[in-house]
Amino acid sequence: MSDRALAERFNEVVLPHLGDALALARWLTGNAADAEDVVQDACIKAHAGIAGYAGGNPRAWLLTIVRNTAYTWMSRNRPRGMMAVGDLGDLDEMAAAHGASLPDEDGPEASLIAKSDTAALEAAIAALPQPFRETLVLRDINGLSYRDISVMLAVPIGTVMSRLARARGLLASELGRAP
Amino acid sequence: MTVHDDGLPNDPEGIRLMIHALVDGELDAAAALAVERRIAADPALAAEHARILALQGAVSRLPRPDVSDAFRARIAAIGMASSQQPMQEQEPQRGAPSALPGLIAGAGAGQRRAADTRPSQARPSPRVRRFGSFDWRAMAASIVMTAVLASGATQWVMFNSASDSIAAEIAGDHRRSLLAASPIDIVSSDRHTVKPWLDARIGVSPPAPDLATDGFALIGGRVEVVSGKPVPALVYRHREHLITLIAEPQQGGRITEPKDVSSGGFSMVHWSDGAFSYWAISDMERPELDDFVARFRKAAV
Repeated sequence: MSDRALAERFNEVVLPHLGDALALARWLTGNAADAEDVVQDACIKAHAGIAGYAGGNPRAWLLTIVRNTAYTWMSRNRPRGMMAVGDLGDLDEMAAAHGASLPDEDGPEASLIAKSDTAALEAAIAALPQPFRETLVLRDINGLSYRDISVMLAVPIGTVMSRLARARGLLASELGRAP
Repeated sequence: MTVHDDGLPNDPEGIRLMIHALVDGELDAAAALAVERRIAADPALAAEHARILALQGAVSRLPRPDVSDAFRARIAAIGMASSQQPMQEQEPQRGAPSALPGLIAGAGAGQRRAADTRPSQARPSPRVRRFGSFDWRAMAASIVMTAVLASGATQWVMFNSASDSIAAEIAGDHRRSLLAASPIDIVSSDRHTVKPWLDARIGVSPPAPDLATDGFALIGGRVEVVSGKPVPALVYRHREHLITLIAEPQQGGRITEPKDVSSGGFSMVHWSDGAFSYWAISDMERPELDDFVARFRKAAV
């Protein structure tokens, strides 16, 4: 493929999704300035790999690169803050523990959640354990399907579903506790 | 605990996951209907549903990061660079040789996805294949299948009549639609959506009256292939039952009265109005299907 065609493809595949890329990187790294660095790195990688993009969901394709880049970036720039990713055994235990602490019947009123302010919600998302936060952001902020997320995280769809449910459950109980 | 026979999980955790999937638009029409019924019947589930909706709404209203013009220009500049030497231009700026393994990982991820969509290019890695759509499809299929088995188990007889090959084909199509991930390709209760959809697909647009007030709600449509030709199929719902209505365009213009061609455990009625030859099939009892046919014919005139 010619350079020109590759450049055009980059413009079509990458540029429209910069907002999503920044949002994901912001929630993975925790702040907006780092997010720009990560997305810029990711776009360089996306550019290098653009010839390998062959259709499919361009947003999911770019966000996969952003996610990988974010973890590489964090392991390089803040090794201490980096939590282990990919240890599924631990995650399942964590999920089970969180599930056990969340009785179904005691969720807050929906109206209370709807009224919660931006700062409280952002703080609650930031406080989520990383696998839950990542799944919630990919679904509710980036709008990816369960299937896209399962491919990206290399976990079964059932795991995507349970992580998403835990994430939302934790957020709901956190927001319900607000005065 | 009440035991439901709609094929959905009966444990509280399982049904909660299904409510999330409903809110996320991940369920096919049949499963969505079943979950909606559960929600309607159980205030605790309704509260959970409302909570999830409220939370999703709140998250979606969060301010999103601005893509500044300067940042967009920086990224666009990456695209302008020669595709053969992107790293040579960019690496001094980033100055991190350790970025290279990341680069390979990033590009590799893209190529894996590409391979997944184009099997001819390269063998997809087993991992991507394994975590593709398999789990969810299997789950959806098992949900629908259980629902069908539960609602029509007594009528679930192997179909072995060779008396009428078209009827047999249509019965097979109907049964397959019940087992498929979704019995409909376009989900809509609005005939002004269903008709143009069918028209755009196969250039045929049969009458599609919504009989919801008569208890037969139009829930969507799909394209079937009967005798090698694509034909429109409308899907109606009556209580727990789905009705498939095949409308085959007619050249001859013969008008025939409804005739019972039931077989294989399904009720089936065939008639023609001169423009279309209709086949209505369902696992409902015959009198109910006759009622549907009468109302449809009256509304379609």
